[in-house]
Parts: sequence; structure tokens; C-alpha cells
Amino acid sequence: MGKRAVSAGHQGSGAVQTPRNRGVGMLIITAYGIFAVSATARALYQSVFHFAEAPVAYLLSAFAALVYVVATVALSRRSVAAWKTAMSAVLIELFGVLGVGLWTVLVPDLFADDTVWSHFGSGYGYVPLVLPVVGLYWLWRHRPGGPRGDHR
Amino acid sequence: MTVMFVVGTAVCAASMLTCWVMTALRGHPADSSIVSLAAVELYLIAYGVYAGFRQLVSAATIVGEGWEFWGYVLTALLLPVGVFVWAMVDRTRWSNLVMSFVGPVVFVMLYRMEEIWWGSAL
Repeated sequence: MGKRAVSAGHQGSGAVQTPRNRGVGMLIITAYGIFAVSATARALYQSVFHFAEAPVAYLLSAFAALVYVVATVALSRRSVAAWKTAMSAVLIELFGVLGVGLWTVLVPDLFADDTVWSHFGSGYGYVPLVLPVVGLYWLWRHRPGGPRGDHR
Repeated sequence: MTVMFVVGTAVCAASMLTCWVMTALRGHPADSSIVSLAAVELYLIAYGVYAGFRQLVSAATIVGEGWEFWGYVLTALLLPVGVFVWAMVDRTRWSNLVMSFVGPVVFVMLYRMEEIWWGSAL
């Protein structure tokens, strides 16, 4: 397997580039995948057992989970359509974490329970705040038609 | 703090460090990274069995909710498997770094499980 890495390095005059869903991209997708799975599990548990206690917070949890799932799938695919979907999902995520974060700081009593995005994701080590920024940077670097973009 | 939690912390930390070192040393998914992931999975199975005994045989009281606790156990069990499959999609140096995510995430989940069961992990 070491051979493979060596041969890839010799393949070309800059024509061979790491696609968006490989290399560092795999790490970003892993992080999104972990958030997708854990947010979905949490939203399911909350909605099934406690929905009546904090419907708005749990609907928001479910929405956040959906955004993470869409972002994970879109980030791991190479088409231009997937790039656009990923870009939209990551932007929604950024606005979500900033909006809900600010809201929960200004009006702490608004939500009856915490969500992934409450207090800018402090319950999750602020990863929800960092992730969309990293995702945006990565998507912009690999934009279709750009120097590192995929043209398929 | 339970012995099980201490062991879990050690297994997770060892897995993360192994994967980090292997990211630097190997240009492909290293056997030791994969073994460290298997160790985390084995530990989680042992933790699940231990928690099952605690709940069914000794009927120990749980501070939080059983559903939430077992949800965490189930999600944690899926994690090493899912990350391993994803890490094998492209067998490069990065596979090791992808696998290094399992240790810290499982540790956080373990912390939450202990909190739900005992009221505090520490």
C-alpha cells in the first residue's frame, strides 16, 4: 500500500489533485458524519420520550440533525450539484449556530431544553461553531471551476 | 469514578495516540490503528455487558433515564464500525487520522453514560 502513495506522487504535472472528498476532506466528512449520527440519535430520543416538554427545542434538534445528515452526504459526493447542496447545508448550519447561539445568550428562557446549537454549541465543545467555518473554507477551496474544483 | 470508566478512558486515549503516531509514520491505514479501534469496540461491548448485568441482575438504580443510557451505548457501539468502514474508503495516511476521531468521541459518550447512570462521572 506504500507503493500506491509513491506512484500517485509521480503521476503527473499537477494534474492529479486530491478531490474534495479525499485527504483532509475525509476528516471533515468524518466530523460531519459523527455529528449527523449523534444529533439524529439525540433528536430521536428527545422527540420520542420528551416531545411535549420542549417541542420547539426538539424540533430544532431534529432540524439540526437533518442539516448534518444532508451536509455529510453532499460533502462526500463529487458532483457540482452535491457541491451546491453541501454549500447550502453548511451555510444553513452556520446561520443556525450563530442565530440560535446569539438567541440563547440574549433570551436564555426561550428554549425549554438545550439544542446542539445553544450557546454556540458550548455543550459540544464549540465544535458546531468551528465545523461550518472549516466546511465553508474547504468547499470554497474546492469550488467548481476553481483551481482545485472537481469538474464532473 | 468507576474502574470501568478509568479503563475506558485509558483505551480511548491509547487509541487516539496510536492513530496520531501512525498518521505521522504510515502512508496507509496502519494495523495498530485498526487494532486500537477494535480495542475500543471490544471495550464498549464489555461495558454494555457490564451495564446489562448492573441493570438486570443487580437491579442497580440509575439516576438518569434508561432509554437515554442505552441510546448512548448503542450509538457508541456503531461509531468504531462506521468510522472504520469510512476510513477504508481511501487507504492513505489520512485513514489513520480519521480513525483517531473514535477515541475522543467515545470518551465523551462514556462520560455522558457514567453521568446518566451515577449522576456524575467523576
